[in-house]
Amino acid sequence: MEKEIKKASLREIAATFFMIGATGFGGGMAIVALVERRCVQEKRWLGHDEFMHGLAFGQILGPFSLNSCTFVGYYLRGAVGGVLAAASFIAPSFLMISALSMLYFRFHEVPELKSALLGSNPVVIALILVAGIGMARKKAARLGTAAVAAAAFAASALFGMSALTVLAIAGCWGLWKGWRTGRLG
Amino acid sequence: MVGIVQLAWVFLKIGVIFFGGGYVLIPLLHRIMVDQMQWLTLKEFLDGVALSQLTPGPLAMLATFAGYKGAGFAGALVATGCIFFPCTALMLFLSSRYEKFRRIAAVHHFLDGILPAVVGLVFAAAFNLGRTSLASARDFLLLGVGFALLQFTAIAPMAVILGAAAVGLLLHFS
Repeated sequence: MEKEIKKASLREIAATFFMIGATGFGGGMAIVALVERRCVQEKRWLGHDEFMHGLAFGQILGPFSLNSCTFVGYYLRGAVGGVLAAASFIAPSFLMISALSMLYFRFHEVPELKSALLGSNPVVIALILVAGIGMARKKAARLGTAAVAAAAFAASALFGMSALTVLAIAGCWGLWKGWRTGRLG
Repeated sequence: MVGIVQLAWVFLKIGVIFFGGGYVLIPLLHRIMVDQMQWLTLKEFLDGVALSQLTPGPLAMLATFAGYKGAGFAGALVATGCIFFPCTALMLFLSSRYEKFRRIAAVHHFLDGILPAVVGLVFAAAFNLGRTSLASARDFLLLGVGFALLQFTAIAPMAVILGAAAVGLLLHFS
């Protein structure tokens, strides 16, 4: 287990998630990759297992990027930490959209930021890949788990199965495996 | 102008019904905001979607935009708070039960099974994003350089993302 977890102060939680919310252009999995890098790898606030469980729970209701932030915040400092992490993550986007809405309803134009996003999109993909490789080394390195990861990838990327369905099936696979090893050994 | 209470109620309801998140939200929000409530015209709605995708926040940030249209800054604040309240409350609840439940053997096995699937989903997200946004040699070059920087150096990922955005702006990518 990768424990030795450090206690985070509320101020540190707020600052970390505000930064993530201010720079994580690309949204969704890009946010998750940033949280994984900052909170799991660099700060060692929680382990890979816990973080990935939080990501899985986050698929149930609402946006999983926000939900993973709430989960990490709660894990560190309870309900206050959870709400603080969620609010800090949303705050930069909220301020940006408020400012842009003000301009939009006055001038009826969307700012031309397309070229910036065209530049950052490939890098966001790189960021997600790096996070995925890190997770795969820890959690999908053996034959059985690698096969499940590959099946989940194919189901979601190629066949458009919803994340929630994929996770439910994988969970049942885990149950079956646990039940079998319990019986045999 | 729209009443704040009505705004709060509508977005609270939306917050409760978006299971699975993501893109199921677009048709749902379209029906509610354009057809039923008529808070936004179709053009405003589509521009709002584009605006919310400019930010790191989730697509549901569209609530901020619609709230602003309905009742100014206060409306934006209320709409945003209300649309995210249900999922945040649910996550807090799940998180609070997490440590206790994972000690139950069956739950433990279930959660263990989920882990490799999460890995697959992460790669699927990269794949889907790549399918829509990797078109030219330039994109693959940026992908390669970004990957090398993120994997082998300690440069903050935020700096890499903002750097790539600056490159896009300065070189007028289109």
